[in-house]
Amino acid sequence: MAVLAPSSGFLPSIRLNNFEGPLDVLLHLIRSQKIDIFDIPISTITSQYLAILDAHEQLNLEVAGDYLVMASTLTQLKSRMLLPRPDLDEEGNEIDPRNELVSQLIAYEQYRALAEELDELPRTGRDVFTRPVFPEAAGVQRPLPEADLEALLLAFRRVLARIGGEIRHHILADTMSVREQMGVVLDRLRQGSMQLDELLRDQPGKEALVTTVLALLELWRQRLVLIMQQSLYDSIIILPNGEAHA
Amino acid sequence: MPEQRLAYQIEALILAADTPLSVRKLCTLCASEQEHVIRALRMLEQHYANRGIRLRQVAGGWQFHTAAEHAELVRGLWQTQPPKLSRAVLETLAIIAYRQPTTRSEIEALRGVKTSSSVISTLLERGWIKVLGRKEVPGRPHLFGTTPQFLSDFGLNSLQDLPDTAQLLSEEEIKQIVRANSEDTPDEQA
Repeated sequence: MAVLAPSSGFLPSIRLNNFEGPLDVLLHLIRSQKIDIFDIPISTITSQYLAILDAHEQLNLEVAGDYLVMASTLTQLKSRMLLPRPDLDEEGNEIDPRNELVSQLIAYEQYRALAEELDELPRTGRDVFTRPVFPEAAGVQRPLPEADLEALLLAFRRVLARIGGEIRHHILADTMSVREQMGVVLDRLRQGSMQLDELLRDQPGKEALVTTVLALLELWRQRLVLIMQQSLYDSIIILPNGEAHA
Repeated sequence: MPEQRLAYQIEALILAADTPLSVRKLCTLCASEQEHVIRALRMLEQHYANRGIRLRQVAGGWQFHTAAEHAELVRGLWQTQPPKLSRAVLETLAIIAYRQPTTRSEIEALRGVKTSSSVISTLLERGWIKVLGRKEVPGRPHLFGTTPQFLSDFGLNSLQDLPDTAQLLSEEEIKQIVRANSEDTPDEQA
């Protein structure tokens, strides 16, 4: 095949941003040039791959390592292909040094294709829609009485949604003290149990909300309070932990 | 006709329910035999086959949804468009779906790149994956698996309905194929 000249000049320039890592780039090189994946011309592919890397002076630091590891794997393979092969399997046959890389490429190619198929499935909220709101279900009692961290976080998100808050991507300066708020929460619990909604209702603003929830989590971790939920979507109840005081 | 009446009852229940209704639940609610309920469901499914809303079985239950061919029209109801999923998110989701329970390092080994935390947290926030536990190896990494929400959002009744599950090759099968093929091919003229 004439296209297999060991240069990358004929390849349309490749932007690594469009790829999901070294395996993706190699598969592109192999498939776009109709190379037999079971007989990869390692030296050609290596120079093409290195040329692509060279063209990107600034590699995204997060992925640079993965691309460079592949570069060294390829370079090593290239030299092993030139040497007589000492590697034999149990039956005394020579082991092709490329086998491992080829297996990796085939495995990745499978999942890459499956990812595309998943994306093509009719997706709820994108292609098909179901009734999103069920006001009539609000009063329904449901079993599932386990309050866990996820339930707590969900409840917190609901409260945030109600006050129009959005905490993601905000880094808060620590002007309110979690430790101080732990004291406030414990103080309010001295009269007995209280609902999470109740506790969060009169917090002035997002920062106070976040601090209170952090304080609550910390109290929970230290087993100073108990957190209970009777059923799914039910209100979450906070109790002072009697044992801890005893 | 009692058969038709059962179908209408089921139709009403499915419309009013906020989660997909299982056949078992429908049997209890309608005080009817499983085979009658299933027959009624098939009848309804057929009735809705060419309508603007469809009846489907997802995550083990039955549910109404709008037909996919009206997707664009329906999206016009809202100003925001559903976000596109990045390839990193989709590939990670595919690996978790087909290989669960799986760890982050297995995902990274398969994709050949590091998995950024934002990919995992996107999938967790969507409610498509969850932590099933920890693998008892050094570092005790999280084991990830998909959720019923994943099945329901992708219109799947169970994990067996994932596309091409049967064709998926295991690592061992891939190795065998590669070995067999490398014996056939002549050595590269390096």
